[in-house]
Amino acid sequence: MKPWLKHTEAGKSVVVDSSRRSFLKAASLTSGGLMMGITLPGFAASGAASAQEYSPNAYLKIAANGDTTIYVGRCEMGQGISTALGSVVAEELEADWSRVTVLQADGDEDKYGSQATGGSASMRVMYTRMREAGAAAKEMLVLAAAKAWQVSVDDCVAENHYVLNKATKAKLGFGELTKVAATLPVPEKPQLKEKADFRYIGSDLKRHDVDLVIRGQRVYGADASVPGMKYAAIVHCPVLGGKLKSLDDSGAKAMKGVSHVVTIDRYDVPYGSVGGVAVVADNTWTAQQAVKQLKIEWDLGPNKDYDTDKYRQQLVANVEKPAKVMAERGDLDAALAAANKTVSATYTGGHLCHAPIEPNASLVWVKPDQIEVWASTQSPADIQKVLADYFKRDKKDVIVHVMISGGAFGRKFKCDYVHEAAVLSAQTGLPIQLTWSREEDMRTGYYHSISAQHIEAAMDESGQVTGWLHRAAFPSIATLFDPSHPYAPKGHVKDIAEHPFGIVNFRSESGEAPAHTRIGWYRAVYAIFYGFAFGSFADELAHAAGKDTVTFLNQVYDNNGNPKQAEQVARSKAALALAAEKSGFGRQLPAGEGMGIAVHYSFQSYVAMAVHVKVDGSDIEVLSVDCAVDCGQVVNKDGATAQMEGAVVMGMGLALHTEIHFKDGAVTNSNYHDYPVMRIPDMPQVRVHFIDSDHEPTGLGEPGVGPFAPALANAIFAATGKRYRDLPLKPRMT
Amino acid sequence: MITINGKDYEVDVPADMPLLWFIRDRLGIKGTKYGCGMGLCGACTVLIDGQARRSCIMPVAALNGAKITTIEGLSEDASHPLQKAWLEHNVPQCGYCQAGQIMNAAGLLAQNNQPSEQQIDDAMQGNICRCGTYQRIKKAIQTAADELAKEV
Repeated sequence: MKPWLKHTEAGKSVVVDSSRRSFLKAASLTSGGLMMGITLPGFAASGAASAQEYSPNAYLKIAANGDTTIYVGRCEMGQGISTALGSVVAEELEADWSRVTVLQADGDEDKYGSQATGGSASMRVMYTRMREAGAAAKEMLVLAAAKAWQVSVDDCVAENHYVLNKATKAKLGFGELTKVAATLPVPEKPQLKEKADFRYIGSDLKRHDVDLVIRGQRVYGADASVPGMKYAAIVHCPVLGGKLKSLDDSGAKAMKGVSHVVTIDRYDVPYGSVGGVAVVADNTWTAQQAVKQLKIEWDLGPNKDYDTDKYRQQLVANVEKPAKVMAERGDLDAALAAANKTVSATYTGGHLCHAPIEPNASLVWVKPDQIEVWASTQSPADIQKVLADYFKRDKKDVIVHVMISGGAFGRKFKCDYVHEAAVLSAQTGLPIQLTWSREEDMRTGYYHSISAQHIEAAMDESGQVTGWLHRAAFPSIATLFDPSHPYAPKGHVKDIAEHPFGIVNFRSESGEAPAHTRIGWYRAVYAIFYGFAFGSFADELAHAAGKDTVTFLNQVYDNNGNPKQAEQVARSKAALALAAEKSGFGRQLPAGEGMGIAVHYSFQSYVAMAVHVKVDGSDIEVLSVDCAVDCGQVVNKDGATAQMEGAVVMGMGLALHTEIHFKDGAVTNSNYHDYPVMRIPDMPQVRVHFIDSDHEPTGLGEPGVGPFAPALANAIFAATGKRYRDLPLKPRMT
Repeated sequence: MITINGKDYEVDVPADMPLLWFIRDRLGIKGTKYGCGMGLCGACTVLIDGQARRSCIMPVAALNGAKITTIEGLSEDASHPLQKAWLEHNVPQCGYCQAGQIMNAAGLLAQNNQPSEQQIDDAMQGNICRCGTYQRIKKAIQTAADELAKEV
């Protein structure tokens, strides 16, 4: 039996035998449903429209009754990609959105293309392919109608789920046309719509799954269940690289409902378990209570002295002295020597933990012939790889049902929790639902890097920047794959040298920063601290030059003579201008209030933010945020707006409050009381303004986070004259 | 015996098991979510005798005779003014915390169907949304309150 999950009326996840699913598939084909493979550019298309004959990278299905299913391969975690990509197909298909069901595709990169969902890349990578998927299907339906009416395709037009005969005004529904359309060749280069004809792209389409959410019927990884499964909880070795010294599990084993205690050894691959002890029980509560009864001694290993307060000081020391040169332009030393004025500053930030409200969770069933996984994940292919390697199976025998993540923010790209559930299933022979406790989620992360950056600038008499030294030190994500990296390598600091500011004499250096914990991608990644340093320092330089920040920024951009960066310069400036205009930047404000502005280019999108604050002692009230966004063609305006609202909330949390502390090698935070993410009373008014753009769409999950912290720090400076250079800044305010 | 969404259930689990796990793991009703286990995030919020409470810290044995409403039981057909308002404002992103948000707001509106912005902040501050949908949550509660006011 190959069970799979399905939503039901009762809101429970149930199991349906996959043979029934195959039957349904077959039934829809034989009864005239159109299953269409979408060929990749460069892939040879064969003749008939049958799923078996293609290697599709996206997939749509129209049943004989017209019901349309769109499969999205990229993983949904709240960023709205399944709605956005689904609507792109529906746009070109001329589908009635109310007749469309969007489903998350299982893990299958041969079929769907890359499903690794990160880097705000989904829209950028999939937009044209998904449009072509819809457009090709539409052309086949139109041709089918033309054949039925014995007219030219030019006399037919697809509209809202039917094809219209322009002359006779006769109509044929998409469902009625599937049988004939399925016999037609798939057009290789279907005609795409003109922007002026878009009705979904650029609109405020509602999320396809909002109705499920408000009924409590959306099924997350933590909700997955199959008959006969047991529940597990785990405690991990608190220090990376440590291992179990001794275990007394008698108390746990004596508890009613506990069936197994399993030691999981560290699996030393980037996405493997750090090692821990798990309890399998009849329910999550019993498993969690039993874990507390385990008496464990750990051998803490080489990272047992990691202390982030000391480490941050060390990083500061490492950027305030010469370090490894990563990139150079012009003659910086001469520019510094000839400067009318030099300005320098050092910025720091702490580790961050993703802390999605759904902690790491998955259900895994290791069977003799197959491993079946239901997981909240951003990368099903990595689950396939890790489990196939670990259990020495074929990747094809690892079936991954991608569940929507209850928040992910980069954490669920790494599947250590799935690996652990698989080990438990293999040891017990049972399907195991493993849900980490909040405490384990917070203490066993892949953390955003702690960082320090030191910048020195040379200025001439007119206040123009003539030189820029930028030293950064942070344990980079490269250390996740090779822990021996002593400093961030070139690929991880290239955003510094490639920043579109026009600096003729420039040098970037990378300071020593070995890793003592796992470092991972966190929403916006390095744009968090690069955005903070560039955005804050530009404001400092503007004040040093006696210019307003917008004027100064425009000058720095205009100094960029590199034709390859002309577009970046123009689009950065346009976003900046829009944020300034919409916020009324520069207007007179009451005492105690201030406005700050910053613009940052990341993940190929441009976001400028103007933040308006009121400061009273150490009370900071963010009154409003104006976000100006250039992400090319906006695909879903409401969804894009939501991403910016969310970016402000996450940016505000990390700018003001959140930091993961290590002491004696272990994380000292444990839950939301000591990792205070933002709550509703602090929510400012967020206004989002889009640049009307004909550029191809780019992603928006991450680019909004970077500019918030510098815009806030600049606003606090404007209100108080105090400059905060260390994040999170609230604990450092007196 | 406790009543959940109009149905009676025997409590046949350890007395200290929180209501959350009885609902999720014993009954298999999964709309109510685990987030923190300490009453800090609000994802597990349900109505207990009409009041919004954190089911992750509420021992099920203490609820003998109580009437519990989860997100699945808030209305028959998603017609509660809050559900309609959540749809209108397209509130959810990942949606994981939203059952708790809606149930907490239902508790608020049951007591005060014309809350001020300050009262919304005070009532909702225990419910975390990590995706950051707070601006929409506020608007949706106001919309639902307006509808309730019309019904009266």
